[in-house]
Amino acid sequence: MLAFRSEAHVDRWCKARRLPRGAVFSLDQAWQLAHEWYADRMSTDWRRRTPAEAEAVFASIGLTGSFWKLGP
Amino acid sequence: MSVGFDNDVRLQVYRHFVDHGEPPTAVQVGQALGVGVEEAGAAFRRLEQDHVLVLSPGTLDIWMAHPLCAVPTGFWVTTARGSWWGTCIWDALGIPAMLDVDGTVETACPDCSEPIELVVEDGALRPVEGVAHFAVRAARWWDNIGFT
Repeated sequence: MLAFRSEAHVDRWCKARRLPRGAVFSLDQAWQLAHEWYADRMSTDWRRRTPAEAEAVFASIGLTGSFWKLGP
Repeated sequence: MSVGFDNDVRLQVYRHFVDHGEPPTAVQVGQALGVGVEEAGAAFRRLEQDHVLVLSPGTLDIWMAHPLCAVPTGFWVTTARGSWWGTCIWDALGIPAMLDVDGTVETACPDCSEPIELVVEDGALRPVEGVAHFAVRAARWWDNIGFT
């Protein structure tokens, strides 16, 4: 996941490098995702999320749709 | 070896990485936990299979203990507790989140190379111009985690 100056920069970069455009979202959503995902990483009782739990985290910050699906 | 032992190894890896700015070797983890390098190394491999650690191919060298990365990336994170490379923008922001500290992420727009600085302060991201782009859909992240 990379940070760009704007969505136009994402489009130009993807086109120039013949890469498919993926998901674009706000940097504040990236922060929320980082916080939800990693805040407990050094806890003694941390465990990997199940696909359903991970999708619930994505959905909680507005990251929905097929791009964010992990399960069948 | 038990899940409990692997969790002890995991915690030792993270604590060492945070305290020293680089990941521990299997020898160092073994010494810290009072076990041999074979046992520590076997735990490294199990943790890699479980997508908890990423090892450099063909070695026991820790490449990533998300959100921390052992090799230089385009994401440098500075906090009062230390400085580390983040694997990507998600992980770079994840370092102050994991440590519950303020922090600054230095990166650059891949398109125009203009620097982007993200400041995490009091549990929030200071408003900043820009967007995040994820090229790889979630179901494919672990197909090639280095690219992801």
